[in-house]
Amino acid sequence: MKKEVLYTVPSYFRDDMKILSYRFGKGEKSCIILGALRGDEVQQLYVCARLVSFLRDVEKEGGILPGRTVTVIPTAIGASMNVGTRLWAPENMDINRCFPGDAAGSTTERIADGLFSTLKLYRYGIQLTSFYQPGSFVPHVRVMDTGRQNPELGCEFGLPYVYVRKPRITDKTTLNYAWQLSGTQAYSLYAGKTHEIDETAAEQTLRAIIRFLNTRGIIRSENSPGHTASVITEGDLTQVSAGAAGLLRRVKFAGAHVRRGEQLAFLLNPSDGSVKEVLKTPATGVLFFVQEGPFITQYSPVFQVLTGK
Amino acid sequence: MPVTKEITKIASASLPFEEQWAIRRCRYASGLAGGRLCIAAGTHGDEMMGQLICFQVADRIQREPESLRGTVDIYPMLNPLGLDIMERMVPAGIRLDMNLAFPGNPQGTPLEILCHAVMQDMLGADLVLDVHASTHYKSELYEVRMNEADADRLIPKARTLCPDLIWVYPEYAAYGSSLTSALCAAGTDALILEADERRRKPQEIAAGVVSGIFCKMRELGLWTGETQQAPAPEAIPVVRTKAEVCRVTCCNPGVYVPEDRIGTEVRKGDLLGTVVDACEGVVRERVTAPASGLVFSQRSYSAVYPGTLIARIRKEPV
Repeated sequence: MKKEVLYTVPSYFRDDMKILSYRFGKGEKSCIILGALRGDEVQQLYVCARLVSFLRDVEKEGGILPGRTVTVIPTAIGASMNVGTRLWAPENMDINRCFPGDAAGSTTERIADGLFSTLKLYRYGIQLTSFYQPGSFVPHVRVMDTGRQNPELGCEFGLPYVYVRKPRITDKTTLNYAWQLSGTQAYSLYAGKTHEIDETAAEQTLRAIIRFLNTRGIIRSENSPGHTASVITEGDLTQVSAGAAGLLRRVKFAGAHVRRGEQLAFLLNPSDGSVKEVLKTPATGVLFFVQEGPFITQYSPVFQVLTGK
Repeated sequence: MPVTKEITKIASASLPFEEQWAIRRCRYASGLAGGRLCIAAGTHGDEMMGQLICFQVADRIQREPESLRGTVDIYPMLNPLGLDIMERMVPAGIRLDMNLAFPGNPQGTPLEILCHAVMQDMLGADLVLDVHASTHYKSELYEVRMNEADADRLIPKARTLCPDLIWVYPEYAAYGSSLTSALCAAGTDALILEADERRRKPQEIAAGVVSGIFCKMRELGLWTGETQQAPAPEAIPVVRTKAEVCRVTCCNPGVYVPEDRIGTEVRKGDLLGTVVDACEGVVRERVTAPASGLVFSQRSYSAVYPGTLIARIRKEPV
């Protein structure tokens, strides 16, 4: 294992922020895994920390295949993690909206550029990412539909779903989009939670990455078999939104099979506990996303039901 | 015919505790033939200048109602929750930039639904002005901004707003989701007005912008009262390409102490400011102008990092 400082942001009031990478093996730049790009991506950091620990043992046992390199960057935003802010605090900017970056640009663009100059050298790129709304997903792989995507390869993670998503205008400055355009096969893994450690989801995500590294011939390590993945798109998801505002009391959770008309959650008056709305599923399927609340604004998407798969 | 004043909630979503997340519009209608001007502000909750500009426009209309023709719609607080806590993003659990959510979606999230309603309400206006106020620790001249795709059509229309500068943004993916871009794409002319509140006497800065707005209203046939003379087209500098802007950044972290250069012509090599280190008591960097020209953005006294924008200079035409 080689620990390196990939990029340094000099600071005045504090210590410099160092972006650390952990490199295993020698030779072709095969796969790179990036954890937290936002200061609240605790689960993403945790999965990477465990992956570094795991790969250290694999390397000792000779399990990194000859001519292959795998690199892990646990976090690119340690300074924000230390003060509890999601974005790059000095500029209030999202690093994941600044790719491919600019070496002569703002500090945030320079961080993105410093990262991307390494990230783009790899054949496969894995980003552990989070959703802007607090909630739980069925663990899955996301691929941006750039015309260069390879969702079939994404099935090798062995997670239940590979979600191919059409990029919105604002997605065109994300890492996943820039990565694909630069020739890296890029995958985003949704590792369950964001702000806290979810051991079960972390283990599942870790196993998925190890599975991918195994099947791609980068490492050799025993692992549990994965799921036969289904490739899904936005058209396979039905949204259930709140017609009222209030406190959310869920009765169904991510991953549950639900039948049409089944109760999913109650929206309660936060003062007197009366039920303002019963959220029901309009279709039979699997709960792909569940918002955690506890406060729900009217019209908020609360559930996404995966139908027809 | 008297001018009517009507405040309407054009869209709302319930919040958990007995409150509506509402977007309000105040309409001044003359009842006389004329067009419609929309003035929006507060998309970013940490930008307060739009409040003062909206107030001053409304104040003048109410003092001189006989001069109004057509309709003026004022939307002072597009992001009321953010404004309340001086937060750029929309709070309400999502922390998203409202100006990246247009044109919205009537079946989407609360933010997308509200953005869609704003769009629908503004569509068909003769002109929409979206007032912004730069970012933290940065002063701007009074600028009118627009996207490259709309520049040929909008530059002539921007001149009668009497700005200090017209700036054409290079094409950039995220701008496509801004209010003005979405409106232009839907066939309604829209411009960004940028005017900062970080210098002393924000009321004077606002008055300059408001004077330009009334000049524009007169040109649109919405105002018959006195206004300033629109400057000659060649009197307003226009930045059309990236190459015309010198973006000055610092190389060292520290505390930035600016010289007062905003709105002035500097020569190459002139001092723009100094990065100092209070712990060691030394000057880390003297930031100088890499090119001669008009300083239209200026960093104020604040902490800086390598890459922090210190100034933007419109280079002297060769």
